[in-house]
This record gives sequence, C-alpha cells and structure tokens, in this order.
Amino acid sequence: MPGSPVTTTAANTDTRYLRAIKTALTGDPDTRLVLLCNFEVEQQWARGHIGLPDPGFAVSAPLVQRMEELGALLAGPDDFLILRTPLDPGYRAYAESAGTALPTQLVPENGAEAQSTAEAVLASPQLLRRLSELGREGARLLPMGVSALEQRVAEVCGLPLAVPDAATCERVNSKIYGRRLVEAAGLRPVPGQCCETVAEFAAALTRRAAALEAGSPVVVKDAFGVSGKGLVLLESPVRARRLLTMVQRRAERRGDDRLEVVVEDWLPKAFDLNYQVVVDRDGRVELDFVKGALTENGVHRGHVMPPDLDAGHLAEIGQAAQAVGAALYADGFTGVAGIDAILGANGLLYPVLEINARLNMSTYQGSVTERFLPPESTALAKHYTLALTAPLTFEAVRSALGPVADLDGPGPADGRRLVITCFGTVNAAADTAAANASSFQGRLHTLLIAPDRAGLAALDTTVQAALSQLSDVRPTSETTALNRKEQ
Amino acid sequence: MNRPETVEAIGKCLAEVLKHEVTDLGEDVRLFDDLHLDSTSVLELLMVLEDNVGLEIDPENLDMDDFRTIGSLADYVDRNLALRD
Repeated sequence: MPGSPVTTTAANTDTRYLRAIKTALTGDPDTRLVLLCNFEVEQQWARGHIGLPDPGFAVSAPLVQRMEELGALLAGPDDFLILRTPLDPGYRAYAESAGTALPTQLVPENGAEAQSTAEAVLASPQLLRRLSELGREGARLLPMGVSALEQRVAEVCGLPLAVPDAATCERVNSKIYGRRLVEAAGLRPVPGQCCETVAEFAAALTRRAAALEAGSPVVVKDAFGVSGKGLVLLESPVRARRLLTMVQRRAERRGDDRLEVVVEDWLPKAFDLNYQVVVDRDGRVELDFVKGALTENGVHRGHVMPPDLDAGHLAEIGQAAQAVGAALYADGFTGVAGIDAILGANGLLYPVLEINARLNMSTYQGSVTERFLPPESTALAKHYTLALTAPLTFEAVRSALGPVADLDGPGPADGRRLVITCFGTVNAAADTAAANASSFQGRLHTLLIAPDRAGLAALDTTVQAALSQLSDVRPTSETTALNRKEQ
Repeated sequence: MNRPETVEAIGKCLAEVLKHEVTDLGEDVRLFDDLHLDSTSVLELLMVLEDNVGLEIDPENLDMDDFRTIGSLADYVDRNLALRD
C-alpha cells in the first residue's frame, strides 16, 4: 500500500544495495569502505586536455566540495567517510533517528581551504596513519572517481582502491571514449562527431550549418566537462561561428591545434534518463536502477523514480547496460558507472548520451530509497537553492519543514515524506560570503516521497513554501515537469 | 556608447542568455547571485556580448570581479570598447 511504513531492512547494518556494491567491487559484502566523495573529480581529469574556452569562474567550489556529505547516507555503520568539515551534530542526530548508525567520520587535521579533500588528507599525518591502519585491517578506499590525487592517497597509506587506477578511470570517462564505445557496441548513438583538432571541430560545425540555419540546435561538450560546465548549446549559425572563432583564436595564440570535444545534435526529447551499472571483478554486469533525470539546459536538477518507461524501452536499457558494462570491463574498468540516456520526442531511445564511470548523484540515493521508499510509491531527488544572508541552523530548517521530514516514525498518513540527504551545502558558501559582506547561495539536498507524481508535485510546492520562510527559494521547474508527465 | 546605453545593451545580452527579460538593471544587481547566471551560461554570455556589443573577448583571460554585477560588467565593456577605439 502506498505510504505504508517501511521497516528499516536491518537496523545498524548495511543496505542490500551497499552490500551488493561491496561484493562487486571487493568480492566481500562485509568489506569496510572508506568513502572519499570527490565531486570535483572531473576538474582533475580535465587537466592536460584542451576543451571549450573556460572562463574559469569557480562559482561554487565550496558548495560542490560539501556535497561529500551525501556519502553519509550511502555508507554503512562500519564504514568511514572522509569529510573536510564534520557533519552538523543536529543533522547527524536527525539522520540517525531512523535507527541506522552513520559511518565514522574522518576529518583531515590540516589542509588549506582551497584544497580538495584528497589534498587535505595528504597534508594530514594523523589521518594518513589512521588510513594506513584501516588498510592493514582490510578496508578499501572508494573515491567518487579516481584521479591522481585519490590514487596518491591510496598509495601513501597502503589503503588499496576498491576500483581501478586513475589512468583507467580518466580514460573511460572521456566523452570521446564514450561515443566510440557506443559506435563499436552497435548501440544507437546520438548523431554527432568526435573532434580532436580545431580543424575537425570546424568541419563538424560546417556539416551542421544547414541544420543550424533551419533551427535545429547543436550542443558542444568538453570531453571532460565538469558537471554544469563544459557544455554550450548553439542555436544559430552566428553563435557557431562565434564559438569557432574563439577556439581558433586560442589555438593560434598557443600554437596548439588540439581540442577534445564532441559535437552532437540537440535532440528534441520526451525526457532524460539515468541508469547505473556495476561491473564486478569478474566482469559480471548488474543494472541497478533506471531513473528519470530532470535537467535544465544540460545541467542536472534532480532524479525522479520510477521513470515513465514502457517494457520495451526498459529492455533496451537492459541490453545497453550489458553492452556498456562488457566494453568497460574489456578495457580494464570495474566498479560503478552512471549512464545518461534520453527518450527522444520521436519515441526512440538513445541509450547512451554519456558514460560517467564513477559514482553518480543517483548512486548516493540507493541506500536512502531502500530504507524509505515504499513499494509502488514515487520519489524525487532534488535540491532547493536558498538565497541566504546568514548561516541557517539545522534546527531552523527542520522546524520549517515540519513533520513531513520526520524519520523516526511511519511517516505521515498521506504517504508524503521528505528525507534531507545533505545539509552541509546549505551553509557551505557562508564563510566566503561573510568575508565579502555579501549574501550567498545554499543548497538543501532532499529526497521527496509520495504515492504518485501528483503527490510529489504537491509536496514539492509545500517544501518550497516552507523554505521560503527562511530564504528566497529560487523557483524551479520540477513541479511543472512532474505535472506535465502526469498528464 | 554612453553608460545607460551600455547597461541597456548588457540587459539585452543577459535576457538572451537567461531566456527571460531582466527587469531590474540596477548596477549593483549581481549576475550569479541575483540573476542566477551559472557557469554554463558564462561562455554563452561572452559570445552574445561579442555579437551584440562588438567586443573581442579572450574567455581565459578574464577577471571574475568584472562579472560580479551589471555595473562591473558595464565597466569592463566600456573599458574594452575604449581600447578598441
């Protein structure tokens, strides 16, 4: 029955989801993991690769870093989570009020503000010693994605990685690699080209000039685009020429013709999708889930589950998952990979838009949905953007949201419930803002649960209203999108 | 361009990128915090500025301070137009 209470599957133990990941990665469901949730990993992978011109405005670096707290609800009580800043005690008590202990926090004792978490770990002898002990006891390091920095942490501590090395992870995360994999596997590609020189880029745009003139947009993506960056939508031939000129000017100035981008048709779509495969150490491939993905101009805004897919499309995704997983394994990759796909407005499924061979946003939702999402119910994972002038206490947020956010009972009778999945991002930018005497943006990450899509949309509206007591909540399009799909 | 013309031109560029009219063109309006310009749309804004205002911009040689507010962006545009002339 929708909205009926969900018994915590096993209080104080790992979720089935987490145990399956541990088994696939290490061969043992009881392996203790040390999570390092380096959400900025693409920045590291992008080094040494020439992509789109980058203004280099690190608008939300502290905020992105604090998303590492999302690991708290994925990991089990015997696991460890490396965090630059400890969890807010109020949030920790809230998260544990559902009866499940959180992982042990490991906080680097050193590290400059601008450094990544891995860099801070490397600068912290006490923590390095602790990680070495854990390595000797059989623990494994699971970064969100492995760059040279996380590999260095593993090597310095003798704490083995649960996934392949940085070179392998970087290689299989290039969008150029992904397009070639799709073509080699015989999957339906999004019409487009890989470009590795400025001349190839010019040719790809020329090939699309007529389509652009006719009003069909083109998207250019960096091979190593950081989430929300490294992507530009070209909606006219003038804009395409402008971008090409910028790229050519830079190439001339540097005397370097290299460029790593993909140029693709911007397909009219019904909706975006995201699914997760886990490739185990023996090459077995498991499709964990398929979710609807909410995006705005190519930027991730949330996930909705289950997606509106018929059995035929689900079967097609199942086949694509096996093909992508097998190809990744053949190329030396094991571990978790998230794959973005779209269902075109023409009803055709494009099963691979891009491959992110690392943990994804949706990866972190798996334990939460197992614990709180009743069968037959729907869920929306999203964040609310808050315009703040001073830090918010967890208690203030909790109080504004009311009983719908309770975790220690069966939940409201109407089956609507909210789980706060990351609180640290609310105040992550507060220190910088205080230094500049300005306001700042915070993000509250949540999972909304309701018996149906209409209920989700209504809950979303209620939550926005509740949070508007605390700040200006930036209007979002999720409610509109949910309602549209409900029709 | 005089100052009000520069600010108006910037307003049109922002409207094109953000896909909605920008009603408050006060010089202290912040591009990222108030208008929610994001890192994805910065490159697009640069291209629109090149198209509409006639600047030639090197995206990798920018100072973020120039892109904090409508006023600071107007300073940047005026300064570069003066250099061009």
